[in-house]
Amino acid sequence: MVMMTLERFEDLAQTYGGEIARWPEGEREAARALLAENAARLSPVLAEAAQLDRLLDLAPAQRPDAALIGRLIAAAPQPAAVGRRWIAGLGAALGLSAAAFAGIAVGVAVGRPQAAAPVVVAEQPVVTAVDTSSALQDALAEPSEL
Amino acid sequence: MASDGNDPDEALLAGVGRGDPSAVRTLLDRRLPRILALARRMLNDSGEAEDVAQETFLRAWKQARAWKPGAARFDTWLHRVALNLCYDRLRRRREIATDTPPEQVDTGPAPDAGLIGADLSKRVEAALAALPPRQREAIVLCHHQGLGNIEAAGLMEISVEALESLLSRGRRALKASLADLAGG
Repeated sequence: MVMMTLERFEDLAQTYGGEIARWPEGEREAARALLAENAARLSPVLAEAAQLDRLLDLAPAQRPDAALIGRLIAAAPQPAAVGRRWIAGLGAALGLSAAAFAGIAVGVAVGRPQAAAPVVVAEQPVVTAVDTSSALQDALAEPSEL
Repeated sequence: MASDGNDPDEALLAGVGRGDPSAVRTLLDRRLPRILALARRMLNDSGEAEDVAQETFLRAWKQARAWKPGAARFDTWLHRVALNLCYDRLRRRREIATDTPPEQVDTGPAPDAGLIGADLSKRVEAALAALPPRQREAIVLCHHQGLGNIEAAGLMEISVEALESLLSRGRRALKASLADLAGG
């Protein structure tokens, strides 16, 4: 154990306050030993420092109010962000399918005006359903990883 | 300042990153009061303290997904962000004060003495606010926030000896301005 001088003890009390437990860890043991040997001189030093500590404890802290907590909760990363990605994936899949459907429908309508809609409408849902279910599976797979 | 690999907030922060509402609440319960108290004591203004605390946690939310364990303890990171925001505001106040003379804070005893409760608290707050910011920061970090000297010195980017000098000078000044209360 490193020896401590009376002056160092007084300095530490004036620096860190009247609780040796709050002094630098490496100096606490020596400080306690010195205090035990010189209680009459050093106890008043600690008491005086502790008096200032108690005053410092009176400096008001501020408790967070419900509005602040509410704003921070609202701004925190939300599980809905995961949901939004899921919805975006689903939307993209449906959009692609709709575009494909429209493209084929237009192509067929232009190429075969007389046969037009009934034939295309009868064929297209099969294509659309396959694409969508595949995209849906991809989109549905995402949340389960989180 | 590197973490010792035992950051008590690490798992919570991962939960925040995943959007777990209970992790958000627990982290706020644990850390928001500390950061708000730090800002209040640094700025001596409840509205500004709330702004600083809010901005600190908004930045934390942005970091949550990308947080790298081991780089720094989350509490230390929060303190650093909050202190930087406090200093931005203190600097702004100084700039404004070059045009407008600052109102002098009277830290002396009230004429009617016999202070109790809220009055006593205001006296201490005013005395703390009258300290040079670096002395105030050292005292708030070590005394109120309960940080160790190495962590506090690291946050302030100074040596432990320099921290001790700030603490010692700050406490001497407080003792003098609160002498009538401390009985010394």
